[in-house]
Amino acid sequence: MKNIRSPILAVLVTLALATLPLIVDPEKSSLVYFLFLAFCYIVIAQAWNIVAGYTGQISLGQHAFFGLGAYTTAFIWLYDLTKTGYYFDPVTMALSGLVPVVLAIIIGIPLLSRLRGDYFALGSLGVGQIVKILFIKGGFFTGGADGLHLPSRVYTSMSPYYWTGLFLALLSTAVVYFVIRSNTGLALRAIREDETSAASHGVPVLMYKILALAMAAFLAGLCGSLYGIYVFHVNPESMLNLDWTLYPILMVVIGGTGTILGPVIGAIFMTAVFAVADVFFVQMHAVISGMLIIVVMRFMPNGLIGLIPRKG
Amino acid sequence: MLELLSFTLVIQLLINGVLFGTMYGIAAIGLSLIFGTMRIMFLAQGTMIIFFAYLCYWAFHLLGVDPYLSLVIVVPIGVLLGIGMYQGLFREAAALEDKNIGLLIAVGLMFLVEALMTVGWGGTPRAISTSYTSHAFRPAGLDLPFTKLIGLLMSILATVGVVLFLKKTFIGMAVKAASEDVVATTLMGISPHRVNSVAFAIGIGLAGLAGVEVATVYSFDPFFGFAFVLNALIALALGGIGSVTGALLGGIMLGLLQSLSSFFLPGWSDAIAYGVFLLVLMFKPEGLLVRSVKKA
Repeated sequence: MKNIRSPILAVLVTLALATLPLIVDPEKSSLVYFLFLAFCYIVIAQAWNIVAGYTGQISLGQHAFFGLGAYTTAFIWLYDLTKTGYYFDPVTMALSGLVPVVLAIIIGIPLLSRLRGDYFALGSLGVGQIVKILFIKGGFFTGGADGLHLPSRVYTSMSPYYWTGLFLALLSTAVVYFVIRSNTGLALRAIREDETSAASHGVPVLMYKILALAMAAFLAGLCGSLYGIYVFHVNPESMLNLDWTLYPILMVVIGGTGTILGPVIGAIFMTAVFAVADVFFVQMHAVISGMLIIVVMRFMPNGLIGLIPRKG
Repeated sequence: MLELLSFTLVIQLLINGVLFGTMYGIAAIGLSLIFGTMRIMFLAQGTMIIFFAYLCYWAFHLLGVDPYLSLVIVVPIGVLLGIGMYQGLFREAAALEDKNIGLLIAVGLMFLVEALMTVGWGGTPRAISTSYTSHAFRPAGLDLPFTKLIGLLMSILATVGVVLFLKKTFIGMAVKAASEDVVATTLMGISPHRVNSVAFAIGIGLAGLAGVEVATVYSFDPFFGFAFVLNALIALALGGIGSVTGALLGGIMLGLLQSLSSFFLPGWSDAIAYGVFLLVLMFKPEGLLVRSVKKA
């Protein structure tokens, strides 16, 4: 009975969410916008969850992957590279996920083989900041500090954003779910618990670490692509902002690190906090989020998911 | 003539680098003590420095207190705040295996203090202008502002003070011992909470000192803190995590690097600093100043 209940519940929730734009007017409803944002945050939160929550490699360079995804979409579109329509084009989006994977492999080989623990965190932060400066200094090619403008006249409706966001949120959660249940997931968790022991049991540690970073980069890149075509303006200050690294960490840890649903809960919860703070305490937005992080971390270090009593 | 001029220029760039770098160094010492004892990356350090810079600024503007005199208020406030912060926020997190919790509390604190300062005091840059702000010594065509020299002196004295404290006092030695091996130190009967409180007290006290330096020398706004702490982290890595004098020298190295690169390659100085940071982390993680220990 228990085994059948969760999938049914998941399908029902998904269907209910998917029909929402058909019930309310997606152009006017703030709920649609709210959920779209929450879906985006779920994607980057799950990305960080794989590499940090399950594999224990605290990547602080996620904003580089996110930004690179957005820039890849903008490049392909503006330079007319794939001739596939670009707006909500699966080929463009997939490429926007794969280019960050290339970056993840290039930086992963030196960083993950040489740096452990906090040192990897610092190193990945350094890489993220360097990527940002490269894009600011990219001159004509990257549009410099002003960035690249996409043709916003193609905008038709909020609904495709909403559905794509929902799809990516489901995809990222499904990736976590299936990876963690596989042998790969076992290897990732073994590395998190004890790297030396994992290596001595024949786990190719470096390969799995890079794989985890690559998966995180792929999901962050996809999300960057979607967000890029949503704002129609890809620039270093917004797309390569360190917030794209800090927010997912915040959401994962508040929801529950190294759990499948924790990041989902954390992302929805924090999006709601941001939204409420924006409406009722315009100036106090960051004050509220700051206090909340402190309170949650101080009193429930296992995250919100720790509040739900475990069955069995 | 041209050669003489460029020689003076290079010297001036080097001096600027040293003067700026010692401030990173002071911030890095605080980070180093907190990281050494608790393995927590205290990312709020830069924001705390800016907070103290504001305290110094308001003491000067509202009460007419000389910025250097305000050290007697600001540093003790910092020490007390540090102890309070540890007991109130980090006491449990320091003992946890998962170091992200401590990191995130620090991030939350950073957001909170940054936002409170923006709401309360506005986001416009502030600077203190006293009768001696524009004083400068000009030996041989060089420019040595009085406030920056005092800042340098304060940094050096503070570093010496911390080094002596760690060497000569019992609790100081306990802090040093805990940085090397927390478990063994605890087994020797030293309470980790006392050690951690002291690390926080010194760290935030030093932030108070750095705040006064920032307030007297530069203009600052609430968001300056985050950039500051990133630089302090680089300084820490250059000098070697865990060493007090190393942190100060790491700060000076970073100051030199930034001063030279921002003159010769404007716009790239941050990228160069991060690049060097990465190379050091990868190839000499024990810092540039420590003689390498051969890996077994």
